[in-house]
Amino acid sequence: MNQVYIYKDTLEDLLTLIAFLLKNKLKPSNIKDTRFSPSLLDEVVTLNLKPNPQVFSKLTLGNTNLMKIIYYVYLSSHEYKELIIYYLCLNTQKYPSTILNMYNLKCVNLALKISHQVSNEAHKLKGFIRFQELTNNCLYAKITPTNNCLEILSNHFKKRLKNEYWLIHDPNRGIISIYDKKNYYIISEQNLKLNLETKDTKYEDLWCTFYDTIGIKERRNDRCRMNFMPKKYWKNILEMSRNNEKSN
Amino acid sequence: MDIKEKLKILADSAKYDASCSSSGSTRSNKNGLGNASYSGICHSFASDGRCISLLKILLTNCCIFDCKYCLNRKSNNIKRAMFTPEEICAITINFYRRNYIEGLFLSSGILKNPDYTMELLIKTIELLRYKYHFNGYIHAKAIPGASPYLLKKLGHLVDRLSANIELPTQEGLKLLAPNKNSDNVTKIMQYVKDNHSKSYVPAGQSTQMVIGATNETDLNIMAKSSDMYQKYHLKRVFYSAYIPVNKDKLLPSLLTPPLKRENRLYQADWLLRYYNFKVTDLLDEASPNFNLLIDPKADYALRHLEEFPKEINTASYYDLLKVPGIGVTSAKRIIKSRKYFKITFNDLKKMGIVIKRAKYFITCNNRYCMDLSLLNKKFIESNLVLAQHKDLKPKLNQLSLFS
Repeated sequence: MNQVYIYKDTLEDLLTLIAFLLKNKLKPSNIKDTRFSPSLLDEVVTLNLKPNPQVFSKLTLGNTNLMKIIYYVYLSSHEYKELIIYYLCLNTQKYPSTILNMYNLKCVNLALKISHQVSNEAHKLKGFIRFQELTNNCLYAKITPTNNCLEILSNHFKKRLKNEYWLIHDPNRGIISIYDKKNYYIISEQNLKLNLETKDTKYEDLWCTFYDTIGIKERRNDRCRMNFMPKKYWKNILEMSRNNEKSN
Repeated sequence: MDIKEKLKILADSAKYDASCSSSGSTRSNKNGLGNASYSGICHSFASDGRCISLLKILLTNCCIFDCKYCLNRKSNNIKRAMFTPEEICAITINFYRRNYIEGLFLSSGILKNPDYTMELLIKTIELLRYKYHFNGYIHAKAIPGASPYLLKKLGHLVDRLSANIELPTQEGLKLLAPNKNSDNVTKIMQYVKDNHSKSYVPAGQSTQMVIGATNETDLNIMAKSSDMYQKYHLKRVFYSAYIPVNKDKLLPSLLTPPLKRENRLYQADWLLRYYNFKVTDLLDEASPNFNLLIDPKADYALRHLEEFPKEINTASYYDLLKVPGIGVTSAKRIIKSRKYFKITFNDLKKMGIVIKRAKYFITCNNRYCMDLSLLNKKFIESNLVLAQHKDLKPKLNQLSLFS
C-alpha cells in the first residue's frame, strides 16, 4: 500500500508533518493536502499533530535562502511539491551548509527550478496586473496565475500603493487579498460581498490609445511579444483583451 | 485639442526612443504614491515586442532644430501639440495607480531655447514629485546646451538622465544634425558622471545611437560605446535601427530597418559589460562588421578554437564566460557547485547550460562529447548555424498514408 500523509493546508502544518516523518524515519510515498482523493492502492494517514511555529527554522537550520525556496515551492502548483520539500529537508540533514549547491540532487534541482518559476511568474504579474477603479475609489484587480502569487503581489503593492484601498482577487483559488491602508488580509472570497461597479473609463481609453500608438509598425514582431507576454495572461490585461474584442 | 489626441501625437513622436528600462533605482515610498523596483518591471509589451514600462511621451513636439532623421524636425509638416504640466501629472498618476506603468519617461522637442525647455521639464517633474508625492521611476532627457544649474536641479528630481549621442561619428552628426554638437552631449555626460550619487541620478545615465543612417562600421560603433562606458560610466547604450521616417537626399533608403545588425550590436554590448570582452576581441580592421549568421560570442570562439575546449571542473570564471552557451548565471553556478562534486555532462543540463551550443567547446573530467578530430571550425560552425536557423535545415517530409 502507498502511504499518503495528509496535512491541513498550511505551510506550517506541512512542515510539522515532515519534521515528524523525519524524526520517526518514515518514508511517505506521497504527501497531500485535505483535497486529496485516494485511489485504490492508497492508504491515507492523517496524523493529528500540533503545529510547531519553530519548525521552519529547525528544519532549514536557519538558512534563510532555503526557507525562501521552500516557501516558493509550496506556493507552486507542482504535483509533487510536498514530496520535493520532504526530500529537500531530508537532504538538508545530510548536507547542512551546502544543500543549495548540490545541483546533482534531483530534489534540489527541481526545487530551484520550481521556485524560479514561481518568482518569475510573480515578477511578471507585478507588471501585468491591471487595477480598475470602483465607484467607492477602491482599486480592484483580477488575476489567474498558474502558481499562487497572491501573497508576493500583496507585499509588493502594500509598499507601492500605500495610500490606496485595493483588492486583488484570484477567482481560481477562491481567495482575495484586501488592503486597508495598513495591512493586507488574505481571505476566502465567500466571506466577502463584492460590488464591482467601475468608474468611468477615461483613463482606460487613454491607456489603450497610448498602447496602440507606441508600437513601431515597421518593427512589428508578434512572436517576440508573445514570448514576453504569454497569451494566458491576456484576458486580464486591459489593452490586450480589448484588442482581442476588436479583432473578433 | 482634447487630451486623447495630444497623447496620440506626443506618444507617436516619442516612440523612436529605445530606452525603456526602469531598473537601478531604490527610491522608496515616502507616504505618497509609488516606489522604484531595483530590478525594473515591464508592464506591457508593444506590438513590436519592445517592453513598455514607462509612459514615454514628449512635453511638446515643436522643435527649433532641423535634424534630417527626426520626425519632429522643424521643416516637417506635421501636427504639433504640447502638454501642460498638470495634464502630464494627471495621466501619470492615474496610469500608475492602475498599474499600467512603472513611471514617466519625459523628453521634449526644443522650444525657444534649451534653457527654456529644460525649465519646463523641471517644472513638470517638480509638480509630480512635490504636489502629487509621486515616488515612482522618472527618466528625463537632458536638453543639450542647457545651463549646468538646470542640469543639477533636474538630476536631483529624476532617477535616470539621458542625452542622446544620436550618431557614432562626428562626421555623421555634422551631415544629418547640423544644429547639434556632440560636445554638448558629452558635456552633460561628464557633468552627470562627476555628480552621480544616491540622490543625484541614482539609476545612472544612458544614451542612444541610430544605426544604419550613415555609413559607419560596427567597429566604429562598438569603439564609441566602449569608450563612453569607460569615460562616463554609462549604464546603457541603446542602439536603434534606423527607420526612414523622412525623405531626404542625405538619408539612405532602406526597405526594412537593419534589425539583425541591431541585435548583434546589443549582444556585443552585453559581452563588453558583463563578459569581460574587449572590442578588439570581437572586431578588427580586417573584419569591421559582425557576422549576421552567428552571434559575436560564438564567432569569437570559432576564431580562437586553439583556446578550446575548456575543462568545466577547472576553468576560471572568465574562461567559462567565453564558452558559447554559458552565461553569467550558469558560470557562477558551476564555480559554486564544483567545489562539492565533479560536474558531468548530465549535471550541466540540469544546471541550465545550453548543451547544444556549449558541447563543442568544453570537456567534463577530460572527456569531450565527440571525437576530438571533429574539433574544427568548419564542422562546428555549420552545426551552430543550423541549430540557430531551423529554416535552413532540409525538411523531412512525413509520408502520407493515402498518396
